[in-house]
Amino acid sequence: MESKKEIDGAKEGTASMTSSLQWSQWQLIDSILPTGGFAHSFGIEAAIQARVILNPEDFQTYVIHVLENTGSLLLPYVCSAAMCPDLDNWRKLDRMLDATLTNEVSRKASVSQGSALMRVAAAVFTEIPSLKTMREMSLGSDMAAFHHAPVFGIVCGLLGMDSETSQRAYMFITLRDAFSAATRLNLVGPLGAAVLQHQVSIAAETMLKRWMNREVEDACQTAPLLDTLQGCHGYLFSRLFSS
Amino acid sequence: MERTGKVVVEKVGGKSTVTRCFSKYPLKFIVPSKVGPCKIDSVWIYSLTYGGGIVSGDSISCEFEIGDGCTTVFTTQASTKVYKSVGSKCSAQFLEFGSNALLAILPDPVTCFSTARYSQKQVFRVLLDSNLVIVDWFTSGRHESGEKWDFDLYKSTNNIFLNDNQPLFLDTVLLEQQSISPINERMRDYQVIAMIILLGPKLKHIQSEVQENVKRMMSEQLHMPFSGINGRAQSNSRHFTKPPFLASCSVFGPKVFFSCFHDTIDMVI
Repeated sequence: MESKKEIDGAKEGTASMTSSLQWSQWQLIDSILPTGGFAHSFGIEAAIQARVILNPEDFQTYVIHVLENTGSLLLPYVCSAAMCPDLDNWRKLDRMLDATLTNEVSRKASVSQGSALMRVAAAVFTEIPSLKTMREMSLGSDMAAFHHAPVFGIVCGLLGMDSETSQRAYMFITLRDAFSAATRLNLVGPLGAAVLQHQVSIAAETMLKRWMNREVEDACQTAPLLDTLQGCHGYLFSRLFSS
Repeated sequence: MERTGKVVVEKVGGKSTVTRCFSKYPLKFIVPSKVGPCKIDSVWIYSLTYGGGIVSGDSISCEFEIGDGCTTVFTTQASTKVYKSVGSKCSAQFLEFGSNALLAILPDPVTCFSTARYSQKQVFRVLLDSNLVIVDWFTSGRHESGEKWDFDLYKSTNNIFLNDNQPLFLDTVLLEQQSISPINERMRDYQVIAMIILLGPKLKHIQSEVQENVKRMMSEQLHMPFSGINGRAQSNSRHFTKPPFLASCSVFGPKVFFSCFHDTIDMVI
């Protein structure tokens, strides 16, 4: 009798933990979270002005390359940070990623989004005081650059998300921001973007399976043209986005 | 990996001199005594592979030590050809440098034949006053035979560490044919990819010049395609064609990193 009550109690406890985690997860990947993701186009704006993207089909190809490059280069950082969300690991990942993001434009974009996410997460998820302390201990001086991928991983890990879900979430927000940029650049309309996003998500899952759970020492770029295009963003005469 | 080469450059009598030079199959070093003008103190080292290329299963691992104040140029006799792969073996080159002087790595580009698999790793350990020029470039393949981005695997790693273990620059490019999109789709008609790294106080004026030039060249090339994006793109119209040359230049710590694409192989940097 008593043991059944205990089991039921435990089940209910787990269920309510899972439910509250879902609310936090959905808030984290909602585009309304003010992390400034809308200011970055992943090189799409430069690609349009370089005539590498001329129509929605070109854009679909491009976004798949963006996702693959995100998988090969950034997922290892999200994975490691989510599995081990402590200060030392975070700082080590942040330093390595700073040396890896050799493209100035993408480096600055990563720092600006990561800083914003850390600030927002520390303020929003007050039930995790370590977010605030880690942030405060690293502000100022050269302690941390606050790159996006490790910060995202830390937040997911501290929220209790498992590593695979954290990496899937990172791929999702990349997809989300790329489509948002494409819509604002008039490459696709809002409905067309939604349709295309759903189609691309199948490829995104394939790429997640291919690139997840790797070591940061194995992080690599698989789309060098994208890197160069993104680096060209600073040469655009008229532009809508920061990167 | 078994070491196949070692070169040590030191100042002897005030001049940069190769004091140790060891190489074994498939690698060979040649150190000609008269390359640059005699007023300039520098040592040139040419690396050759037997048979003019790298065959399946070859592995090369060498170590370089460049002493204080020395100037060294490391280059190749011709482009490094990587022949087709049998049984998916990998050919690899591994070079490690310790430098507090000036080292310029200026090889001919790597050309991978159809189905070739190639990986190379270069690790540089530098000090604050080291000067490095690294050119790392590769082509789409045997262009004239119609092989464009037809190889199976190309991987190139360039890692620079400051004072032994502080990561300064970590870059790996991996191109695999068995991937969600074929390599040629990712390259969009470009045939050559090059990456140039300029690091160190002696190279400041070149760094500024490169930055200015790239900015000027690219600003002229980048513009909105005419008559809107949703309109029918006339592929023969100049306004819709991609620039023949795409480059971007980033400042990174004390160095400049420059990557570019070109649509013909006969380009001159």
